[in-house]
Amino acid sequence: MADMKCNVAVVFMHDYLDGDLAREEAKQLQEHLGQCPSCYARYESLERTDAFVRTLPIEKAPEHLADRIMKSLPSPRRPAAWTSWVRRHPAVSAAAIFMVVMLSSFVAMWNQDQELSVTGPDLEHVVIEGNKVIVPEGQKFSGDLTVVNGDVQVLGDLDGNLTVIDGNVSPLASTAHIAGEIKTIDRAVDWMWYKVSSWFGTLAYGS
Amino acid sequence: MKPLETRLARLALKGDQRAFAEIVDLYKDKLYHLAYRMTGNRQEAEDVVQEAFLRVYKNLDRYDENQKFSTWIYRIATNLSIDRLRKRRAIYSLDAESSDHEGLDGYAMLPSDDRTPESELLLSETQRLIHEAIATLPVKYKSVMILRYLQDLSLQEISDVLDMPVTTVKTRVHRGREFLRKKLEHKL
Repeated sequence: MADMKCNVAVVFMHDYLDGDLAREEAKQLQEHLGQCPSCYARYESLERTDAFVRTLPIEKAPEHLADRIMKSLPSPRRPAAWTSWVRRHPAVSAAAIFMVVMLSSFVAMWNQDQELSVTGPDLEHVVIEGNKVIVPEGQKFSGDLTVVNGDVQVLGDLDGNLTVIDGNVSPLASTAHIAGEIKTIDRAVDWMWYKVSSWFGTLAYGS
Repeated sequence: MKPLETRLARLALKGDQRAFAEIVDLYKDKLYHLAYRMTGNRQEAEDVVQEAFLRVYKNLDRYDENQKFSTWIYRIATNLSIDRLRKRRAIYSLDAESSDHEGLDGYAMLPSDDRTPESELLLSETQRLIHEAIATLPVKYKSVMILRYLQDLSLQEISDVLDMPVTTVKTRVHRGREFLRKKLEHKL
């Protein structure tokens, strides 16, 4: 590569000024510059440009700038702990948020339900007086009875479970007979447990 | 042992304001110089530097310690400077249209403090010519040339800062150098 083309030489000049030209190629460039006055002039001009640009003085930041910067910071720095924790544990965070949402919706539902409600398959066999649900003497209620926000008095037969939420069960009369369990639920937590287990029951048995 | 800046960044992240003040001290001149050469305007340079440190502060938890701190902070400051230049171009081209009657063109309205007494800080005619030549560089060459010549970054570091291949950085250095050569050739 005795006679280098001028366009190649120009690329080499730049690489050389970048400190990025191999020694062998630098030699070739040197040879070319010795033979080609226009390339030599160009190289000198580039070298001068480089040197001049480097002579520009460093502009120092004004005195007040550091102060202005420190004052502009949002202070005090928020504790980055929990946000970065959330970022590191996305699954746990999602689960926690899910729990909070569920819990609050349950609590909200629990607080909303202030009205008496009676649930069961056999409601013609019960009598409601005010907020009191009565299974009258001599009557037979077959199936589970659920009463929310009301008291219950069983005088007759109840052939199933009795669940009372936020209410009381009057002492059983001698005539009463309850085949299943009696459950009384007073607090939101119990009630949530009841909701969750009945929800899973629905999933499992489809009823 | 981690580099000084990395340790300072960790302390600052834990809420140590003095550690952050040290980071500001280490980098304020470098960033100011960078921003001043990019925007050609002292007020804007101050704004860019302030904004850059604010971003650094807010994003300390995202600083990747495998990367040099200087690369990260230069990237933030360079991008903010480029944003400024773009925004300015947009604003002034609009203004130029609306102010035809006053006979002002976009260039006449470019914010520049070349005519303020402060410009006397450029000690010689030579420095003024170089300053002006750099100011007229197209943005994509300007950022590369400033990082190369005024911050003394290697081609590899510039490629990290600007997030582009080294070959692209090289091409831009070459073109930028030719641009400056043509600007300065007959004046110096």
